[in-house]
Amino acid sequence: MSVNTHDNHAGLREPVPGSPHDRRPGGGASPRGHTPRGHTPRGRIPRWNWRTAQSVKGASFTFPFLAGFALFVLVPVGMALRESVYTTKSTGGLGFGGQTVSFAGLDNFAAGLVDGPFWAGMLRVFLYALVVVPLTQVLSLALALLLDAARRRTAARFRIALLLPYMVPGIVATMVWIYQYSPTVGPLTPFFEMFGLDVNFFSSSMVWVSMGNLAVWGAVGFTMLILYGALQSVPHEVFEAARLDGASELRIAWSIKVPFVRGSLVLTSLLSIIGTLQLFDQPLLFRAVTPETITRDFTPAMMIYDQAFKVGNLNYATALSVILALVVGVASAIIYRFTNREES
Amino acid sequence: MIRSRAHWATAGLAVTALAGLSACSAGAAPGGSTDAEATGPVTIEVWGWNAETGEQVAEAFNEAQDDVTVKYVLQASNTATQTNFQNAMEAGSGVPCLVQGFAPLTTMVVNGWAQDITEQVEPSADLYNAGALAAAQVDGKYYGLPSGSDGQFYIVNQKTFDKYDVEVPTTWDEFVDVGRELKKHDVDVTNLAGEDPSGLMNLAQQAGAEWFAIDGDQWVVNFTDEGTLAAADVFQQLIDEDLVSNQTYMDKPALYKYFDSGKMASTTTQWWSLTGYQTGFPDSSGDWAAYPIPQFSDAAEPVTPGRTLPSFVPEGCENPEAAVAFSDWLTTPEAIEAGRNEETGAVGFPVQIPDPSAYVEEVVPKDFFVDDKAAGEEIVAAQERVIGKFELGPDYDAWFPELQDQWGKAVAGEITLEEALTAVQEFVAADLESKGISYTVAE
Repeated sequence: MSVNTHDNHAGLREPVPGSPHDRRPGGGASPRGHTPRGHTPRGRIPRWNWRTAQSVKGASFTFPFLAGFALFVLVPVGMALRESVYTTKSTGGLGFGGQTVSFAGLDNFAAGLVDGPFWAGMLRVFLYALVVVPLTQVLSLALALLLDAARRRTAARFRIALLLPYMVPGIVATMVWIYQYSPTVGPLTPFFEMFGLDVNFFSSSMVWVSMGNLAVWGAVGFTMLILYGALQSVPHEVFEAARLDGASELRIAWSIKVPFVRGSLVLTSLLSIIGTLQLFDQPLLFRAVTPETITRDFTPAMMIYDQAFKVGNLNYATALSVILALVVGVASAIIYRFTNREES
Repeated sequence: MIRSRAHWATAGLAVTALAGLSACSAGAAPGGSTDAEATGPVTIEVWGWNAETGEQVAEAFNEAQDDVTVKYVLQASNTATQTNFQNAMEAGSGVPCLVQGFAPLTTMVVNGWAQDITEQVEPSADLYNAGALAAAQVDGKYYGLPSGSDGQFYIVNQKTFDKYDVEVPTTWDEFVDVGRELKKHDVDVTNLAGEDPSGLMNLAQQAGAEWFAIDGDQWVVNFTDEGTLAAADVFQQLIDEDLVSNQTYMDKPALYKYFDSGKMASTTTQWWSLTGYQTGFPDSSGDWAAYPIPQFSDAAEPVTPGRTLPSFVPEGCENPEAAVAFSDWLTTPEAIEAGRNEETGAVGFPVQIPDPSAYVEEVVPKDFFVDDKAAGEEIVAAQERVIGKFELGPDYDAWFPELQDQWGKAVAGEITLEEALTAVQEFVAADLESKGISYTVAE
C-alpha cells in the first residue's frame, strides 16, 4: 500500500498520468530529483563512484531486515530441509535404548506425496478457501467502497471499529466465538430461535459455517483497510470527469474504483489464500466441540503439528511442511500470473 | 491441549504438585563432584509450574534440614516445562534434578529422560501408598518418584435421585439401569464429552484392562481385552440408548450450567474438581452426595481408577538421592502444612501418603455436599483403593489424539466403541512399526 500512496503522490504532483496504470514496485518509483550533486563522497571512499556509494548506502538500510530474515527464515528453512531427509528410529526392543538417525533421501517426501489424510486435508482447506476467500474479498470491497463514499470523519471512526476484530489474536477470537456459538449460554441460539430457527453452531454440519464466519469476521477489517487505502489513491479528477459525464455513484464505483484497486485485491486475495491453506488454530479449538468432524489431521497444518509434536516424527513433519509451502507457493504463483495477465 | 482435558489435567496437576510432586533437579551442583563430601549441602534444582506454593514449600524444606538445598525453578506451564527441559537435555547442561511430570512416565523413559532411581526409592517405600508406588514404576523399576493419583469417586445430585425415587448405583450395570430410569424423566445420568476419552481410560483401568504390557523385549498391545470391552460396553449402552449428554469442556460455563440444572444426575470426579463445582453450581450446591465409584459386578475387590504423571529425576542429575530426600520430606505433616496456599488457606490433598484422612476436611468445600463428613470418608476411601498404574506404552503422545478422534466418532454414534478401539490399536501398531519399537498385537 505504500506503493499505492507513492504512486498517488507522484500522480498528483506530475500532471502527466492520465491512464489508470497500477504499477508494481520497482517500476517507475526511482529516486527522482534527489541527485546530490553538491557533495560527492569522493574523498572517503575513493574506489567507488558516487552512484555505487549511493546504492551501497541505500542498500545498507535493508541489512537489519536481511539479518532478521536470514536468522528467522532462511536458517530455519535450511534446517528444515536438512531435517526432512533424515529418519529417526528407535534402536528396537521396548524403545528404551535411544534412537538412531539415518539418511533417508527423499523417502519422507515420497511418503508425503501419497499420504491420504494429508491430501484429504489439503482438499478440505482448498474447498473451504473457495468459499471463504471470495466472500472475504467481496465483503471487504463493499465495506471499503462504502467507507470511501462516506465523509472522511465518519470513515475514520468506522475504519477503527472494523479493524478491531483483526487486532484480536486468533486464539482469543476463537474462544470468544465459541462462547457466542454455545447452544446453552451463547446469545446466538436464542436469537435464531426468535425466528423459529433451530441452529446449532457446534453440530458437524455447521462447523464449516461457524469457522468460516469467524475467519471472515477476523479478516474483513484488514482487507478492507488495504482496499480503502488503495481507493484513496485514485485521482479525484477522474471522478469529477465521470460525474460530469453523468455517471452514477454506483457506476463510478464499479467502473473506476474497482479496476483501480485490482492490484490490491490480488494482494489481499493472495494473503487470504495463504492464510486459509495454513488453517490451524480455529479448527484446533473447534475440535473440542465437534471431535467427530475435526480430526487431528483435519487440515495440513494440523497434521504437521500432530506429526511433529504428538507423534514425534519431526523428520516427516518438516517434509510435509515443505510440501505445504510448495503448494501454497504454486497456488500463489498461478493466481498472480492469472490475474496479472488479465490486467494487461 | 487446549482441549478441556488438559484444562482439567493442568488444574489437577497444579494442585497435586503442591501436595507432593514438586520436581527437583540437581543441575550444576557445584560441590557435587569431587571434594564435596565434607562441604555444605547439595544444591538441586526442582522444576515445576506450581506458582502458588512451589517456592514456599522448597524454602520450608531448606529450613527443615541441612543436607540438601532445593532451588525451585518456576516454569510457566506444563508445556513450558517440557520445552525448557528438552532444551536443557539437548544442551546437556543445566539439567535439573527433579521435574514435575509433564507426560506419562513411560514416555520419559523412552525419550531417555528419566533415570532409574529404584535404589534410592525403595528404602522409603513405606512413606507412600500402593497406588503411588505402582504409578512410579515402568517394567518393575522406579523411573519416577512415588506420586499419588487422584482416586475417582462418584457424586450424585441427591435431590434429583430422591425426586425420581432412584437408587444410587453400586455397579456399572446398575448405572446403566439408572440411566434408563432417569431418561424417562428427561434427565441424563451423566455427561460424556466427545473430546475427552479419559472416562473410557478410567473405566478400562478399573476393569483391569492392560493396553500395553511388557513381555521380555517387546510390547504387547491390546486395546480390546476383556476389561476394555467391558468398559466399552457400559459406554456403548449409554450412547446407543441416548442416556447421556455430550457437552464439551471447552464451553465450561455451559457445562456447569447444565450440571447445575438438575438435568444431569451424576458424574465421576476427583477431589480437586470440587472447589470448581462449588462455585460453578450456585443452584444445586448442597444437593450433592458422594458415593464409591460403581464397580464391575465381577470385580474381586473394589478398586478406584486414577492415574497420574509422576515427577522424575532426569538422566544427568548427579544427586538422585537428594531428589528422593525432597520427595520423601513432602510426605511429612510439616511439608503438607508448608504447602498451605496463603491466599485460599487450603492445603493440597496429600494423595501419595498411606492415610490422608487428616487432611480431607480441608478439601471438602463448604455447603456443597448434603453431608460433608460422609463425603470426606468417600474421598479417603477412593484414595485407599486407587490403582495408580495404567501403562500407556512408549508412544502415548502419538496415539492419544487418535483415541480422541475415534472416541469422538463413537460418542457421536458414527462407529461403535469396539471399532474405535480396534482402529486405535491399528494406529498404535503402525506407529510402533515406524518408530522401530518391538511389539506384538495380542490376539
